[in-house]
Amino acid sequence: MSISRRSFLKTTATAMAGSAAIPIINNRLFKLKGADMQNYFEREFGISEALCQKALQVALSRGGDFADLYFEHTISNYVILEDGKVNRAYSEVSLGVGIRTVKGDQVGYGFTQELEKESILAAASTSATIANASNNNPNKEIIKLKLENYYPLKRLLTEIPLESKLPLVQGVNDKCFSLSPLVKKVNAGFADEQKRIMIVTSDGVLVEDLLPRSYLYVTVLAEKNGRRERSGWNIGGRRDFSFYTGNIINEISQKAVDRVLVLFEAVQPPAGEIPVVLGPGVTGILLHEAVGHGLEADFNRKKISTYSDMIGKKVAEPEVTIIDDGTNPELLGSINVDDEGTPGQKTILVDKGILSSYMHDKISARFYKVKPTGNGRRESYQHYVQPRMRNTYMLGGSASPEEVIKSVEKGIYVEDVSNGQVKIGEGDFAFYVSQGKMIENGKLTAPIKDINIMGNGPKMLANITMVGNDLQMYQGGGGACGKGGQSVPVGFGLPTVLVKSMTVGGVK
Amino acid sequence: MNNKLLELAEWTIKTAKNAGADDCRVTINGERFVEISYRERKPENIKEASTKSLYIEIFKNGKYSGQTTSDLRKEALSNFISNAVRMTDLLAKDPYRSLPDKKYYGSIENIDLELYDEKIKSINPEDRHKLVQTIEDACLSVGGSKVISVEAGTYDSSFEMVMMTSNGFSGYQNGTVLYAYAGMTARDEGDRRPNGYDYALVMKKSELPNPIDIGRNAAKRTLDLFGGKKISSQKLPIIIENRVVPRILNGFISAMYGRSIQQKQSFLVDKKNQRIGSEKFTLIDDPFIKGSQGSKLFDNDGFASKKRIMIENGILKEYYIDWYYSRKMNCEPTTGSPSNIIIPKGNRSIEEIMRDLGKGILITDFIGGNSNSTTGDFSVGIIGKLFEKGELTQSISEMNIAGNYLEFCQKLIEVGNDPFIYSSQKTPSLVFNDVMVSGV
Repeated sequence: MSISRRSFLKTTATAMAGSAAIPIINNRLFKLKGADMQNYFEREFGISEALCQKALQVALSRGGDFADLYFEHTISNYVILEDGKVNRAYSEVSLGVGIRTVKGDQVGYGFTQELEKESILAAASTSATIANASNNNPNKEIIKLKLENYYPLKRLLTEIPLESKLPLVQGVNDKCFSLSPLVKKVNAGFADEQKRIMIVTSDGVLVEDLLPRSYLYVTVLAEKNGRRERSGWNIGGRRDFSFYTGNIINEISQKAVDRVLVLFEAVQPPAGEIPVVLGPGVTGILLHEAVGHGLEADFNRKKISTYSDMIGKKVAEPEVTIIDDGTNPELLGSINVDDEGTPGQKTILVDKGILSSYMHDKISARFYKVKPTGNGRRESYQHYVQPRMRNTYMLGGSASPEEVIKSVEKGIYVEDVSNGQVKIGEGDFAFYVSQGKMIENGKLTAPIKDINIMGNGPKMLANITMVGNDLQMYQGGGGACGKGGQSVPVGFGLPTVLVKSMTVGGVK
Repeated sequence: MNNKLLELAEWTIKTAKNAGADDCRVTINGERFVEISYRERKPENIKEASTKSLYIEIFKNGKYSGQTTSDLRKEALSNFISNAVRMTDLLAKDPYRSLPDKKYYGSIENIDLELYDEKIKSINPEDRHKLVQTIEDACLSVGGSKVISVEAGTYDSSFEMVMMTSNGFSGYQNGTVLYAYAGMTARDEGDRRPNGYDYALVMKKSELPNPIDIGRNAAKRTLDLFGGKKISSQKLPIIIENRVVPRILNGFISAMYGRSIQQKQSFLVDKKNQRIGSEKFTLIDDPFIKGSQGSKLFDNDGFASKKRIMIENGILKEYYIDWYYSRKMNCEPTTGSPSNIIIPKGNRSIEEIMRDLGKGILITDFIGGNSNSTTGDFSVGIIGKLFEKGELTQSISEMNIAGNYLEFCQKLIEVGNDPFIYSSQKTPSLVFNDVMVSGV
């Protein structure tokens, strides 16, 4: 239920904590070894190839161009610590199949939570109604697609007992309190999700994947001279549980406490247009908002995007190369296969300053007569596919980060960003800086916080005049991007970058 | 009343208690919806489905967990519940966690909130397509040659919910929703393609405005964005248009939650019965408005609904405190979350107010931004119009307002006479004086 073509992004773990019940289920039914990753839906729910064929036939019974089935079984768990104890836990099981029929650029969609034959066929006939002609037939043969695995697991997340997760969360709590007497409250949690999908397409492809996702987070509240400040940190991704070691506990705790204490020194930045240096890592949200969304092919196919006539044209300085990539090991936006059966891959969006490709799903790829780029994604079986980002980042350039900062006489240095938004057609975007520093005479000085920075995507891209050699990918586990009412996990990264001018929203 | 849902809830409670739970609360939701959208005068998306889900909260030996599933087959559910009870046992004890004391359930008012309309439930495909076509046509005709793309659509749903506890609470609510919208992207000068939209969301079909108006307004609101640019940074009066007030207000309301107060993540800690805004700032939580989205007879704890003045003439009167945080803070609970938010309307239209103010900015939308509930600081991008001598003169974009809620709410000088009716937050336009607006 979307109001308009707005997109927003949040990286905070607490965004998840706000929504009702998410994630503790440890189900003995799902004890599987590596070798039996395949045929999951057949084994567990009796979904046969013949049933899939029948459903696809019904989906195309009124003449769609193609159809697909998206089976999903997701188990998510979430344990929370408040006031010193891990004293609440949530879990969710989600199971269903979504059926899509496509006719040109028109989409019919039905889904069911019951994996019985009658329910599946009823959902298929709902999706068929988008077309209005004589029937079409799915491919008679189904080929099983083999995939690369960018997020291999040693153990299924559903096999990790709750007892193993509790010490992580308790450990972060205890560590944070030990780091500073100013720490007054700690909220921490561990969330994990294991999503199994099977996609069957009318052109005869069957593919299965298992997508893990987890993160450990903390928010810390500190008090000093009657003032309170709050900050936090989280680390995660498509990780095996063995990733969460004592070192990770220490890193998260140290970062969170350092980040909250510095806020007591924060000053207000000047309002207005000034140079902005983006530090490496999470600041990649800027790319996501300012450039990424505008390059999703549906916005261009409909001529809504400000980039819709720009393929092959210069959009940035030659030092700027921007990539959207599903193949980074264990990052949040990595996918072995997209949600319509196109294998995970890497797409160069801006090649040395020249706009080289949009991000496509099957519908836009047919429109532009190119191959799909593996960007067809959806939130769940309840949603149809849209072109979406995966991990979006800019390659490193030639300058050292110190040189970039030194080049600015007076400006803002951005260290952490919590969320952003873009208006696709105007290209106007904003992102919220939760932490940063002033730059004065080429040096980082007083800390700043809670400022919205605004700009215009194409102008900002052209205004990137220096690119550092220190590309960092965001290692958090809570990043989710919203578009058209659907939320999907995404990653991003950026080297230190100088943008000549942006609007900083201060009060002075 | 749906007996099947009630029976399932009863069965779930019995099964949980047999599995070892001391107490439990179960909430079952069911929905049937249809969603369609049009572009270029043909359907772009059609989606139709039914969903259901069961949420069970388990209380065992001072321990607590909550579990959701969509698989309501009794055998699967029975396994799910016994797993959930076992899992709960592994958590730490929490002395504040329990079902509410029964006396707090009170007695649920016997009134019809008019949330259910058979006329929405029985909309047929032909009517639905006709409605969307009418909206699309109206938008296209006003947009004319400027149109790049128009999208129009509807979403209609009928839903029901049962909540039941093992200590004697039982509640049921059903309802219908009809949502209709249009969005337009148009060709401005240069390469700007402004996008504007309009919508209505109602629970009774008779309250839907003329669909032609939805289409026309979407086009008009888009054309109004033409020529957007930033002006120099300065202090000005601002008017926040009724429909977008919640974007600013929500940061304030999140600081009123019991959890925010108890965890000290709120700038409103220790501010009860103190001045937190100007005389003009009054905020009422009213769960009994007929046909409004936020209306309810009981809350998530099962407490019978009550109308509450949360902020009165600038004085903070209440927090949103549920049962759990009331126990943690050793105070009386109110209710855990807002129902309908009402800011009592003023006497004048925004046109009259603009004439009076002379120069200022009418904010019609926000972009990006966020707020820090711990300190009350906020910063957000604004989109709208500059007005001079009472007349709208220049579209603005890429600009920003920032401040601290406690100072900002002191600057509220007037409330418009135009509460936005298509939301549970029925906020009129709000006028603030002397706000730093940053641009060039």
